[in-house]
Amino acid sequence: MTQHSEFLLEIRDLRVQFHTDTGLVKAVEGLNFTLKRGEAVGLVGETGAGKTTTALAIMQLIASPPGKITSGQIFFDGKDILTKSEEEKRHIRGKKVAMIFQDPMTSLNPVLTVQEQIAEMIRLHEQVTNKEALEKARAMLQLVGIQPERGPDYPHQFSGGMKQRVVIAIALACNPQLLIADEPTTALDVTIQAQVLELMRELKQHFNTATILITHDLGVVAELCDSVAIMYAGRILEKADARTLYGNPQHPYTQGLFHSIPDLTKNVHRLNTMPGLPPDPTALPPGCCFAPRCQYADEACSANSPDMTEVEPGHFVACFKIQEKNGRQAHG
Amino acid sequence: MGSPAVTETMVETRRLKKYFSTPKGPLHAVDDVNIFIAKGETLGLVGESGCGKSTLGRVVIRLLEATGGSVLFGDQDIVKFDKNDLRTFRKRAQMVFQDPYSSLNPRLSVEQLIAEPLRIHKVYPNERETSVRIKELMDTVGLAQRLATSFPHELDGGRRQRIGVARALALNPEFIVLDEPVSALDVCIQAQILNLLQDLKDQFQYTYLFITHDLSVVRHISNRIAVMYLGKVIELAHHLEIFENPQHPYTQALLSAIPIPKLDIVRKDRIILEGDVPSPVNPPAGCRFYGRCPSRQADCLEETPELVEIGPNHFLACCHPGAITAQKQPAQ
Repeated sequence: MTQHSEFLLEIRDLRVQFHTDTGLVKAVEGLNFTLKRGEAVGLVGETGAGKTTTALAIMQLIASPPGKITSGQIFFDGKDILTKSEEEKRHIRGKKVAMIFQDPMTSLNPVLTVQEQIAEMIRLHEQVTNKEALEKARAMLQLVGIQPERGPDYPHQFSGGMKQRVVIAIALACNPQLLIADEPTTALDVTIQAQVLELMRELKQHFNTATILITHDLGVVAELCDSVAIMYAGRILEKADARTLYGNPQHPYTQGLFHSIPDLTKNVHRLNTMPGLPPDPTALPPGCCFAPRCQYADEACSANSPDMTEVEPGHFVACFKIQEKNGRQAHG
Repeated sequence: MGSPAVTETMVETRRLKKYFSTPKGPLHAVDDVNIFIAKGETLGLVGESGCGKSTLGRVVIRLLEATGGSVLFGDQDIVKFDKNDLRTFRKRAQMVFQDPYSSLNPRLSVEQLIAEPLRIHKVYPNERETSVRIKELMDTVGLAQRLATSFPHELDGGRRQRIGVARALALNPEFIVLDEPVSALDVCIQAQILNLLQDLKDQFQYTYLFITHDLSVVRHISNRIAVMYLGKVIELAHHLEIFENPQHPYTQALLSAIPIPKLDIVRKDRIILEGDVPSPVNPPAGCRFYGRCPSRQADCLEETPELVEIGPNHFLACCHPGAITAQKQPAQ
């Protein structure tokens, strides 16, 4: 396959829906996404944008019922994982794609020692003896900055930042090709967050693991990521390399997002705010999902949903207005 | 927005202490805190989890009883207030809580929630006047009248926090403690609430104590900023002074740890602190920051540094501020 070489992950037109009492929640709605080998991408959006659902879809961990992947393809290493058997999925999950969850307090098993939890992962995916697994577990602890002697301790004996290091050790134990980190530092204090981000940066260089960093914090993305994808109402609205996106955000939503953050280098009395709220996922608007809040929107925006188009090399935006503007410039 | 030269003090704490008894000994949540808040100013209180900032906020308006010291409102010490004094005092000082999901009674409608303080304090003789005031408060905080009969679970986080603000304003207080009022909200909603708080202050000349762990929020909203570490205020200065000329090694580390959503600025060297915040139970003598301080010296353990004025309106609690400045000089 030709796509094998270029992309580690390619998602095409993914749709994930949940049946709930209040209606059909369209959590992910026609998502297209690619990730190169070794690339670190930040997936940024507000609560309910569909970031975590996308991650769970890649991990094949969408609870069904109520959730269901209704259409789309997820190519991992050139093969569509949606068509694989449960057995094959288990082999990918943990071994090739690993995930770090937001809350280190709840993602560790309280009644197992931390070295046992790391060794569990290694035993599951590699042909090793118990002793070898434990040795490797201790080596992983060392790697994430925890003294190996603390291996026989239980999660409650560690602080929040140290627990998150243990979670990272578990995720990287089998040297996965893709690491999905869902808000890995959101539950941590800022000085501890700085420690964990520093560790993640070192490990990224050490293992060259492709990473999807899910966060609502554009500051954290700036620390770690090569590229950024902005998600809103189940779609990606803008994607570019980090330098381009931070320097020249194009989509009105991305611009609004940047303006909402208090700037540490400027003094303003009031912040610029976007009117309104993200749409109800049980009743997404027709056309562009951002149109109801967009100051530039016209009838065309409410009629059709814009596709992602490349406005400059590597910079993709899903907005009719930006496309119009660029079209005009292109035609003189 | 420059602060006037002569200011009237709204609140002043003197040697304020709050200890909680735990099986392992007294937990020093607030320990000998001396701060003042001028009339009409916003004092930002920052620190990491467990530093005692929320406890301080509560002791200042006597939602928690102080272990020692005094809290002066004008010439009255509220620590000594009896039940009747306290009832009158409640009209002068109010609080907005962090989590609009758990701080509102789920069985009361919006109008009932806002009416609660008015009824408890018997502000209006009849229902008609109460309901006029409720309507007025809903307008003030930007809640549409049609939501009057809605229940909290039907509303998003931003609207719920508006109810919390309306409840705090109902009795026309002079002083409001805001405990992480925007931390549970997405950035766009956060910006809307920050603007609301700023507008209300412009309109009614409130005095705010704004507690947060978010440094960019505190810089945006505060006139002066107090930094807390393990029960102590370790630095207090004008909001720009704290960011441009931090003197305490902890403040310096804290500020350098903020992830900034920009790629084009040259950031100062990041100071990564070792270890975690130590336990506030039975804290050791001497400087509380000693264990993690990059510029500690032997005599830092001998006595606890007091908060002293080192420059105009710049207060610092550090034994060796000179040592830090001397260290920094060659690099600049």
